[in-house]
Amino acid sequence: MIASTPRLVPFATAMFLLAMGVFMLLPLLVVIASSLSSSSFLVFPPPGLSLQWYGEILGSQAYIEAGWTSLKLALATVVLALTLGTPAAIALSRFRFRGQATIAALFLSPLILPSLIFAIGLLIVFSRYATGPSFLGLVIGHTVITIPYVIRTVSANLADLDPHLDEAARIMGARWWQRYALVILPQCRTGMAAGAFFAFNISFDDAVIALFMRAPNVETLPMRIYSTLEFSPDPSVAAVSTIMILMTIVLVVMLNRIFGLSKIV
Amino acid sequence: MSAGSAQPYREPAILLTPGLLFLLLAFFFPALQLLAQSFLTFGTEPARFTLEHYAKAAVDDFYAGVGVRTFRLAMIITALCLLIGFPLAVIITRVGPALRTVLIVLIILPLMTSVVIRTFGWLVILGPGGVLSWTLQQLGVIDRGISLMHTEAGIVIAMVQVLLPFLVLTTLGSLGQIPPSLEEAARVMGAGFFRGIFHVTLPLAVPGLASGSLLVFALSISSFITPTLVGGVRLQVMAGSIYQQMTGSFDWGFGAALSMILLLSTLLLIVPYMVITSRIGGRK
Amino acid sequence: MHQMSVRSIVKHFADLKVLDEFDLDVAKGEFVALLGPSGCGKSTLLRIIAGLETPDSGEIHIAGRSVTALAPEHRNIALMFQSYALLPHMSAIENVRFPLRMRGQLSRADQLRKAREAMSLVQLGHLAERYPRQLSGGQQQRVALARSIVGEPDLLLLDEPLSNLDARLREEMQIELKRLHENLGLTTIFVTHDQNEALGLANRITLMNRGSIEQQGTPEEIYRRPRTVFAADFLGGANIFELEVSESDGVWSGSFPDGSRVDLAVSSDLEPGKCQFMLRKEAVTFDPEQSMSTITGTIQTQNYLGGQTRSLIRAGGIEIIAVTDSDKTETDRIETQIGWRPDELIPLQNV
Repeated sequence: MIASTPRLVPFATAMFLLAMGVFMLLPLLVVIASSLSSSSFLVFPPPGLSLQWYGEILGSQAYIEAGWTSLKLALATVVLALTLGTPAAIALSRFRFRGQATIAALFLSPLILPSLIFAIGLLIVFSRYATGPSFLGLVIGHTVITIPYVIRTVSANLADLDPHLDEAARIMGARWWQRYALVILPQCRTGMAAGAFFAFNISFDDAVIALFMRAPNVETLPMRIYSTLEFSPDPSVAAVSTIMILMTIVLVVMLNRIFGLSKIV
Repeated sequence: MSAGSAQPYREPAILLTPGLLFLLLAFFFPALQLLAQSFLTFGTEPARFTLEHYAKAAVDDFYAGVGVRTFRLAMIITALCLLIGFPLAVIITRVGPALRTVLIVLIILPLMTSVVIRTFGWLVILGPGGVLSWTLQQLGVIDRGISLMHTEAGIVIAMVQVLLPFLVLTTLGSLGQIPPSLEEAARVMGAGFFRGIFHVTLPLAVPGLASGSLLVFALSISSFITPTLVGGVRLQVMAGSIYQQMTGSFDWGFGAALSMILLLSTLLLIVPYMVITSRIGGRK
Repeated sequence: MHQMSVRSIVKHFADLKVLDEFDLDVAKGEFVALLGPSGCGKSTLLRIIAGLETPDSGEIHIAGRSVTALAPEHRNIALMFQSYALLPHMSAIENVRFPLRMRGQLSRADQLRKAREAMSLVQLGHLAERYPRQLSGGQQQRVALARSIVGEPDLLLLDEPLSNLDARLREEMQIELKRLHENLGLTTIFVTHDQNEALGLANRITLMNRGSIEQQGTPEEIYRRPRTVFAADFLGGANIFELEVSESDGVWSGSFPDGSRVDLAVSSDLEPGKCQFMLRKEAVTFDPEQSMSTITGTIQTQNYLGGQTRSLIRAGGIEIIAVTDSDKTETDRIETQIGWRPDELIPLQNV
């Protein structure tokens, strides 16, 4: 900090940061605390500690299935979003062509349209032109909202690199497939990894599109948590949520390792 | 950039086509379908053009009330996010690298946690016999348990926590572009600490604050998970009603019309806001 | 047969004409510098030769075949980029092997052997397994150089080869480049805006200005006998001033603004009237011989440069800068006589 800051400022800053810490993290902490409660009601403070709710969800067919569905959905989304987003990001950051700004805006537009609106449109389309919402519909919906993240991370990655690498490879005799396999794609690795983590996280956590595209026999974890919360919350929801929070922590740590959190900012 | 081949546009075209086609079919087409649906009768074969959905939304006092509540809440939430988010972002840019990382995790970790889970946390905090009530009782502030569930205050508190990261991250983006020497220069020229922030940092952060608050506003208007779970049936917001129409009452035409109204009114607020803030920010 | 020739190259960027009917021939084994200020078209020309830009019209031949329509990967050339463009995910040796690997004519073992040879040619044999980010700027440059020569290209192109190095390394690399060129005999074209680089490296300098050739010749010719004000000014180290030229009985003389007159060497370029002249700073002496032109002046100020001293002298109504050996520099008197060989005063075309 700049010297000669008014004396009250460091103290006020410290208090403010403390309050922010509590405010931002408390919701996560109470969920974790509740999952360890021995009571079957969500009361505070918990009367005792117990791991029974973890046993409960591991034995619950519904939660296990929802977990699998979420996992498959997130992985499928990652694959599709990377497959479609990476080439677009390469085109947008390594070439100059007419209409480039417009096309870039088109690719980022799913970030701007509220996902509620998009989810309704998708529901209408799948009901009218297909047999209704389905797992595939969810994959498509999640791919749409995660492509912009892949484009952003891969573009950020490419922006840091020497733009002449591609030309250098050509002059050294590399054909187009060799340029992609040996030069361009290896350059995109960190961006693709970061994009994959974002896509996984968004798909795994999404409830908005999932709730609109509710299909029979397809239930993701966030959907299950939402409907439990609507009717009868109990500490087993807290146990599932805690597992998801831990997964998020792992993702954040990995993102920081490969990409640096300061880059996301 | 890469010339030398006979068709310089071929390579980017090949790279872009799959993604563009996908977005056209899976994103733009559904968005247009929603627009069409709001003007079509629902359940009749063939569907006819109609304005009845919009008429229904216009005459029903219930939805007018829901709309007013939605926008009021969104404005309060946005204002609070600005109030808290700007100082937080300024602090993040000025602390040492270790504390900086801690603070960024403080922002990113909740952001990357599912909204349903964060809302669940708030239910446990705000509900009867929850953390808030217990703490206040322990402190002797209140003598009977309280609950902020089913109150607008509860919705606002939870939503600010859910949306604050968006504002902080966008503001950090524009604060990062301010050379530190600028504020130092202001200090040398005799501006005090707060005047330095007020006259140098704040104006330069306006573009980030503007896009951040727009994002928060748009997201808060279209959120239904947190408002519905915290506010319950009695305190409906527009997004909640839309969810109700689409998945409960199955009145898709009406749901689509409400969505269009939501989208258009957001745009109506956003455009003048952008014009004003871009003047203040003095962008190039 | 020329190793490389470009004929009537025209290139526009939008409405801006960057190259105007440009011709250049380079013989086998030549080391040619394309010298000029930024925006003169030299980098565009290099990129056109490499195939990275397509000319609007014109022909390019390399090693006896027309490559105008050929993509860069088929031209069998090497280009060392200003940024080096080392592949960050490959070790130094893998970078150097890359051109051989793309050509795929040699076995993997032979590729590696040749890559190692190239690495030791640039004295980097011991750092083969390092990644570019683990190498210093000078070492990265050597890797880039090894990568450019490993495939024995028909033509070696260097884009501002020394501009990213500090002064000491630049000197070292100049010697290195010259030595490599003498050993390998690769036909080389390089682009630079630094006259010292061009003078120190090239056999031939092509001075460019606004998309065409201003003057061409050996470093010595370009330096000592610039033909235009632009050339004299760009090469630096010159006093440029105007004299009134007149002739009587076959003797040509020029008068300074204050009326002092000096003899001019007979040259076909002379005609009576106002004319710009160039006088190298090093051509001025404080100890003129009998046969020299002389003029009196006053020393305004001096910079001691070590072995040499730079003096600002007011003479003939103008200011003249002299760079002389420090031990032959007048330092005691303010009023002094200076002189130069008449043929050092070179008339320039003012284009």
